[in-house]
Amino acid sequence: MKEHIEKRAYHVEILPPKQDSAKLDADLAGFAEKYRRVMASGYCACITDNAMGHLAFQGHEVIEELKLAVPPGQVMIHLNTFHTRENLDEILVACRRQGIRHLLVISGDGSDRLPKLQPADVGATDVEAVTSVELLRYIHRKYPGDFETGVAFNPYEPPEHEFAKLARKCAAGATFVITQPVIAKHPVVDRLLAATKLPVVLEAWMSKKLHLLSQAVGYEIPEDTPFDPIATLRLLHQLYPACGMYLSLLGFKTQYDLIRDTWSVPSGKETR
Amino acid sequence: MRIVVCIKQVPATNDAVIDPETKRIVREGVQAILNPFDTYAIEEAVRLRARLGGGEVIAISMGPPRAEAVLREAVALGADRGILLSDRAFGGSDTWATSYVLSQAIRTLGNVDLVICGKQAVDGDTAQVGPGIAAHLDWPQAALVSAVRESSTKRLVVVRMHEDGHDVCELLLPAVLTVVKGINVPRVPSLKGVLTARTSEIPTWTPGTIGADPAKIGLDGSPTRVVRTAPPPPRNKASLRFTGTAEVCAGGLLRELRKRSLL
Repeated sequence: MKEHIEKRAYHVEILPPKQDSAKLDADLAGFAEKYRRVMASGYCACITDNAMGHLAFQGHEVIEELKLAVPPGQVMIHLNTFHTRENLDEILVACRRQGIRHLLVISGDGSDRLPKLQPADVGATDVEAVTSVELLRYIHRKYPGDFETGVAFNPYEPPEHEFAKLARKCAAGATFVITQPVIAKHPVVDRLLAATKLPVVLEAWMSKKLHLLSQAVGYEIPEDTPFDPIATLRLLHQLYPACGMYLSLLGFKTQYDLIRDTWSVPSGKETR
Repeated sequence: MRIVVCIKQVPATNDAVIDPETKRIVREGVQAILNPFDTYAIEEAVRLRARLGGGEVIAISMGPPRAEAVLREAVALGADRGILLSDRAFGGSDTWATSYVLSQAIRTLGNVDLVICGKQAVDGDTAQVGPGIAAHLDWPQAALVSAVRESSTKRLVVVRMHEDGHDVCELLLPAVLTVVKGINVPRVPSLKGVLTARTSEIPTWTPGTIGADPAKIGLDGSPTRVVRTAPPPPRNKASLRFTGTAEVCAGGLLRELRKRSLL
């Protein structure tokens, strides 16, 4: 992860096609186009795992089916706790076979249609439910040395609770941190950077619809709030020069070419 | 081992519209889905195939031409192939005639070791087709199966539910099972499965294909008639709320249950 930041490689989120897609071929083609573009740019494609509980195909299977190349270090897969144990192992074995080393391990958003890992599935005897902590432990126990595992950090949750969770995640094997969307200087983010030596990647909200973050930030953002994602991204680079950037909801048609020149290495600043 | 899974395409909505003449659910123009209970049947068949080291899982469905979609879904979920039983002559079949048609298809396939059905279809809710298939084939059956404890190519040991709990029974194959929700966790279709299913050949079998007796299919073959179909009366929505400590609430609930002779 450190090398991503040193190379100024953005982490670009790409959603795989949904299970109920009425235009699957077009969606697969669209995914492939975005993916290849990210690869050509030297960035890292971050593929989600049934985001928001909406059934979608898995990143590793889309990559395999479309015969997409996996350059070392340029693909990250989200992995959550809403799988059967068999399916979880299939994903991990496939990722290992494809050379995908980076995993963002999260608890995830479930749905009625998605199974949930049970404690016994991952050898957890001291908990009633499986979270990202137990999933991390399982991955590192069963697949030692195969993966670099990142975890989520939410600066909008009560800080003490969130830092305590982060400590547990680190103890379970986390090697990098990705935050929820950050749009300005934030005291909890500052505290995070002071508290951990792990590489930190800030999520940059690339949609103009800032009000969609209301639930994440815990207060109502008016729908007509003006927001310039590209300008905010530049600001984040200035405020947090040692951090990587995770671009969510990036507009590939309108924004992709604009981000190329937004990340310049400030003089005298080292990466974490 | 050859396993047949009987599946059905059902309306996706709870707001069923009843045809006043036929007294049956209007299906045209309504979004249709794979009967939810059938996903458990498909999953169990696929798991048994893996557990027994190979074999074939064949999904069959009796329905209109558009029911082909659920057969493709079954293939996406792991079935090896699907067969559609579709003909005007099948129309109007009750559960007895339907189970006859399905049993004839099973005979036509030949060498079938096991038939698995979902517990019931969510539109008819009779839960009769699975047992009807067993009756037509004169095979042993276990309905409401919640677990398969042991399996071989010759026998199964299953847990089945009943009103007072459950029992464990052994069936010699060939046999018929109906399975309940909770017997397994159905897999999500893989991309490979979906793409394979799109190009799978789904043949349509007619009464002639399966050697069906015309007197035993459709309305002629249906000993039952739908006299009336209506939504159930609304449940009494009155409710009681107990407030206070847990002990106070528990005491209040207990008194209320005793007052209503429910305890």
